[in-house]
Amino acid sequence: MKWLLKIVEAVRPTFEEGGKLRTFKPIFEALEHFLFSPSTRTLGAPHVRDPMDLKRFMSMAIISVVPCAFAALYFFGWRFLAMVVVSYAAGLTVEAAFAIVRKEGINEGFFVTGILFPLIMPPNLPLWMVGLGVAFGVLIGKELFGGTGRNVFNPALVGRCFLALAYPKAMSQSYIEPSGDLLGCLLFKWLPSGSGVDAVTVATPLSAAKGGVMASTSHMLLGSISGSAGETSAILIILGGVFLLFTRVANWRTVVSILGSFIILTAALIASGATKVGIDGLCGPVVWHLFAGGLLFGAFFMATDPVTSPTTNPGKWIYGMIIGTVTVLIRNFTGYVEGVTFAILLGNIIAPILDEAIIEVRIRRLRSEG
Amino acid sequence: MRLIGGYNIPLEGKPEHGISVMPESDVLYLPLRSRRFTFDELSVKEGQRVNGGDILAKDTDNYGVPLLAPRAGRVRLKARDGHIVLEEVALLEERADMAEEKMEHIEQEMGAAGINRYKLLTLGAWQFFYDAYSGRLPDPLGTPQAIIVSTVSLEPFVVRGDVQLHKRLLNFTRGLEQLQSLLEYQPIYLVMPDIKSNLANLVRDQIRGYAWVKMLEIPLTYPYDDFGILARRLGLKRNKGPVWAVRTEGVLAADRALTMTKPCTVRIISIGGTGVQGPTHIKAVPGYPLEAIRYKYVLEPAARLINGGALTGEAVRDDTLGLDAECRGLTVIPELQEREFLGFARPGWDRSCYVPCYLSSLRKPFRERFTSGLRGEARPCVSCGYCDEVCPAGIMPSLIHKYLYRDLTEEADQARVDLCVECGLCSYVCPSKIDLRKQLIDAKDLIAKEKEEMRQEQLRQEEARKQEEARRQSEEKSE
Ligand code: SF4
Ligand code: SF4
Repeated sequence: MKWLLKIVEAVRPTFEEGGKLRTFKPIFEALEHFLFSPSTRTLGAPHVRDPMDLKRFMSMAIISVVPCAFAALYFFGWRFLAMVVVSYAAGLTVEAAFAIVRKEGINEGFFVTGILFPLIMPPNLPLWMVGLGVAFGVLIGKELFGGTGRNVFNPALVGRCFLALAYPKAMSQSYIEPSGDLLGCLLFKWLPSGSGVDAVTVATPLSAAKGGVMASTSHMLLGSISGSAGETSAILIILGGVFLLFTRVANWRTVVSILGSFIILTAALIASGATKVGIDGLCGPVVWHLFAGGLLFGAFFMATDPVTSPTTNPGKWIYGMIIGTVTVLIRNFTGYVEGVTFAILLGNIIAPILDEAIIEVRIRRLRSEG
Repeated sequence: MRLIGGYNIPLEGKPEHGISVMPESDVLYLPLRSRRFTFDELSVKEGQRVNGGDILAKDTDNYGVPLLAPRAGRVRLKARDGHIVLEEVALLEERADMAEEKMEHIEQEMGAAGINRYKLLTLGAWQFFYDAYSGRLPDPLGTPQAIIVSTVSLEPFVVRGDVQLHKRLLNFTRGLEQLQSLLEYQPIYLVMPDIKSNLANLVRDQIRGYAWVKMLEIPLTYPYDDFGILARRLGLKRNKGPVWAVRTEGVLAADRALTMTKPCTVRIISIGGTGVQGPTHIKAVPGYPLEAIRYKYVLEPAARLINGGALTGEAVRDDTLGLDAECRGLTVIPELQEREFLGFARPGWDRSCYVPCYLSSLRKPFRERFTSGLRGEARPCVSCGYCDEVCPAGIMPSLIHKYLYRDLTEEADQARVDLCVECGLCSYVCPSKIDLRKQLIDAKDLIAKEKEEMRQEQLRQEEARKQEEARRQSEEKSE
């Protein structure tokens, strides 16, 4: 790859101070460092560094949702790919514009948002809405706070929340029936057969359940149900999620406390008869609820975002419990069928407060030490 | 306190157990600076002949700790900047004992107990002592609340305690006894990696009956051998007085100075790291030409020579010509040369990582060929929490970093930045490549300075108040 490096070196002066394209230096740098690892050396102790960098860190998050992305492709067609492209294009434009204005590097964090966002969108959502949503999420949810690392809210969720509030009808009507073929939509189908351009809107399991129609748990496990593009296949989410936990990019405490509190509360509600499900028994309904909607996806990939979750471990436990509990409450006692987005955004707000309280305790303990 | 955090970085080039003796050199370049010391007061003249063990210079800020002539030779003061050069070096009989009359004089002045401390200082053993909390040289005339003796050295790569102890067990236990003679009833804590090992049993047999030696076992995880960490682990409180700390070499030096009244000049140091051919331990004197060591051990021309370990050592400057008086090991790291194509996306079978994000996590632990590459771009903190987790001091480097970013020095002080032991692990693991260690050290220094200034200011005010009062009183009187 020497020749490529030579090209990079050759065009570098154009982007440096005094060059014609110096405004676009962040973009050039992002590209350069994407292709070639930086040549920076350590200046002092420690003289060696761990191989882990932010690119790798973010790559892990992206890899972990690749199974879900394939599931989306399989069930909802190649239109999903277009959504991903639009999401990246729109989001990167915002990101790059801010990098240029701020004269900072383009941050890798966006690449995660860019793939997560279409995964939590209804699969038949107009593409312009995808672009608008992600741009809004990145702009309001991240850049206004000062960019990656300083944002309070998960940008993808901010985008989704915005669309849900601004275009509630379009959002709820863009859910479609997943492909029922053996090969799914793999053979370059734009949308699953049966749902043409003016596709039939299909209720998601949670909204259908309000009307008394229960999707089967096994379908939810595999993903052959209606729902947001990447949220339907429980098994693939768990697979990717466990991978993410294994790499320690996501923290297991958050996931365990969200799912744990969700399971316990749901079980309690079902056992006490406060909520009715069309399935008998206790285990069955709990698993059904666990798989339904965006809970698993949110717990594994959204709530674990290190920037917007608490940094302290006790904070993570409480944060998870809040998200799990609020999800149960919204799902069962409000008009909304799906509560994960709001629950996590609420958790995001509370996270800094939790941290502050726990740090306070810790510092008091440290201070007492001689 | 429990031992928390810590991590052993898997750096290739661990020094072998053996010791090779470097051939004598006929010129020695003694740097006038080392990590803790600046030898600012010269005790010799240009062209003067000195014997091995003579004092060449002293550090007046550090209780007059001396720079000893490791060998006999002729002094050249101006030959090289920042060095005392010793020419026509010969391995003559070392100065066997101290002058009798001088001893008497000291005995009169300091009493019998003072003699040992005087010997430690002038025979070059005192420089192996550390204050456990600050890492500085303790006051030789002070009384510690305890002495921590550690046989463990965990940083890659500094000299290993077991190598130094080899065949010198007797000297070691005798040294422990000598240390005890400096104390009244205060305990000595002997830190070992395994208190059931053969070596530990031997030591135990030898020191049986000395109730004042307490053994402490620690896991071999960096940086649990740090004196600050050990003092906290032992529950020693800062306000109860200083804690002295020595490593194996310090005990051996104390034995040599006090039992044999001989100067401590020869050192065993390690030479390791990725850029070293046959990493090992070497026996050499301070001032030994670095060029000779480089020539024999360093493979690559573009390698960084580090005085100390890879995590806390300092790169040897080009104008430094010889081993300094405090060197405990040399680490050699090749400088980063090549840029990897799509580096971040590689599977990483050959990459050792703190978190299992590379394929190599499916492999047994192995040592990696590190270079001096930063291996990533500087980014804002993403709160991944690795630094908080790895920090052995139990403080939160990421939090302190955020405070410092906003110039909240006060808060950083509250968050106990002073407990940082400067191990460097936080900087090592940070995926955003933030130089946390440096930021924290700078903040520590700044806070210490501010506090000192405040104290001075208070003293001044107090003084002024007193003067004022005295003036008023005398005025009243005159009235
Ligand atoms: S904060 Fe200090 S003690 Fe903690 S890991 Fe960093 S350098 Fe080590
Ligand atoms: S390791 Fe670096 S990125 Fe992670 S929390 Fe610490 S300072 Fe932030």
